Amino acid sequence: MNILQQISDQIDLGDDEKVYELTTTAIEQKIPVKQILDEGLLQGMNIVGRKFKEHEIFLPEVLMAAKAMNAGMELVKPLLLSGNVPMKARVVIGTVRGDLHDIGKNLVGVMLKGAGFEIIDLGNDVTPERFIETAKAEGAQFIGMSALLTTTMPVMKEVVDRIRSENLEDKIRTLIGGAAVSKGYAEEIGATAYCYDGSNAIDYLNSVI
Amino acid sequence: MTSELIYNRIINFSINEMIPDRVVVYKSQGIKQEPKVSKKINDLYDHALSIFTQDVEPKGILKEISIPEFAEVFQGNGENEENTPVQHIFPLADSLALFAFTLGKTISDTISGLFSRKDFALAYMLDSIASASADKAAFMVEQKRDKSSKTLLYSPGYCGWHISGQQQLFKKLEPGQIGISLNDQFLMIPLKSISGVLITGKKEIHNFDHDFTFCAQCTTFSCIDRQEHVIN
Ligand code: B1M
Repeated sequence: MNILQQISDQIDLGDDEKVYELTTTAIEQKIPVKQILDEGLLQGMNIVGRKFKEHEIFLPEVLMAAKAMNAGMELVKPLLLSGNVPMKARVVIGTVRGDLHDIGKNLVGVMLKGAGFEIIDLGNDVTPERFIETAKAEGAQFIGMSALLTTTMPVMKEVVDRIRSENLEDKIRTLIGGAAVSKGYAEEIGATAYCYDGSNAIDYLNSVI
Repeated sequence: MTSELIYNRIINFSINEMIPDRVVVYKSQGIKQEPKVSKKINDLYDHALSIFTQDVEPKGILKEISIPEFAEVFQGNGENEENTPVQHIFPLADSLALFAFTLGKTISDTISGLFSRKDFALAYMLDSIASASADKAAFMVEQKRDKSSKTLLYSPGYCGWHISGQQQLFKKLEPGQIGISLNDQFLMIPLKSISGVLITGKKEIHNFDHDFTFCAQCTTFSCIDRQEHVIN
């Protein structure tokens, strides 16, 4: 079996050590790094994503696969960067100021990474300034915000308003999610999109990049 | 936890009684029991549970309060919905007690640490166990409060009781004694904490229709299961 196929299979099985080993070998064999990414790592995550959508596997298995994907990405990412191979898109994510609920945001970050997006995770309790300054400094095309409380969701509006007032709407788009918010709230504050969960965020980002 | 909860005091919970039902945890992660849960997931659960039992520091605090005193607490910062179930229930209570519970800081730190070390599945399983455990604490005090009548915990942030009500509740209850603080968005730290008022009385007082304005936006409908438990 070809090594890229093996990488993909081991991602599906969630074996991070095997993925690390196989990716090391693939790099040593001088397989182009973009090919390792697309036909090995991302291919594996695509299969996992499909199985998850079809309820063949559940979130813990997706997360084990994501850990395995990460093990391979650790080796591949520096080569992608040094070879100027572009990632799909860069997304700054965080839980908004005053809110410490970060498990949902973490899951979304992991799933987006698994789908090939570059994620800059600012953690929780993130101020509007930090979201925007980081997105500008890192050249991110998206800001993804999470809020679980009705008292913290207005921070999302602050971010959207600042993006507008700085005329950055064409450069930085905003995604919101979390128990407190809805599609209606995204429309009300002028956020670009509301995402129900990680898969939904992947579908949205894939549809616009 | 000892027999009936009738004093103003700090309650120590045993770690074993805080272990939630595996089925509840799986359900919260969308894991279907049929045809069969994979070995991988069962092993993951067992691993997470062993960490949980090591790291959890369950503590509760309870304070009896009179109906007029609670009326003031419930008023909060004046941000409640106009019509709420709690405002109709508490005046009919036989007794009221403010309550807060936490699983402690260590468990939240461990969950964050596991995420940073990219142990995503383990982190999420541990998080779900901890969430289910915190919910279980509410159920446990409800059961043990007073066996001759029915007790339910009602919490700020639910059913029209605005989350800013936490401020008044904290002033009266002082859960700082068990290590819970409140941030300026009314979030309790540590995260795996719950609060509210234990309302004890005849079972009928807990019965209400689900046609309040906020019911339309509710996604949990946890009140229905809870009511069924005490009423039937
Ligand atoms: C960037 O783009 C994106 C895209 C998608 C994004 C995204 C960003 N961010 C999230 N998503 C989405 O994708 C993720 C993966 O699928 C999802 O992320 P989530 O973070 O939503 O999902 C997690 C993986 C799992 N979900 C969760 O962990 C939260 C689930 C619910 C039921 C919940 C739980 C479990 C808990 N809670 Co409570 N809790 C609720 C929640 C109601 C709900 N339906 O969500 C909520 C958040 N809680 C609430 C309340 C009131 C409270 N809780 C409390 C306590 C608890 C428990 C401890 C019992 C427990 C754990 C909390 C925790 N998260 O650690 C209290 C506060 C705790 C504190 N520290 O202050 C307390 C205040 C109650 C009390 N007085 O005791 C409500 C807030 C209401 C409000 N007014 O703001 C609440 C909405 C419930 C309700 N009323 O319906 C999606 O939302």
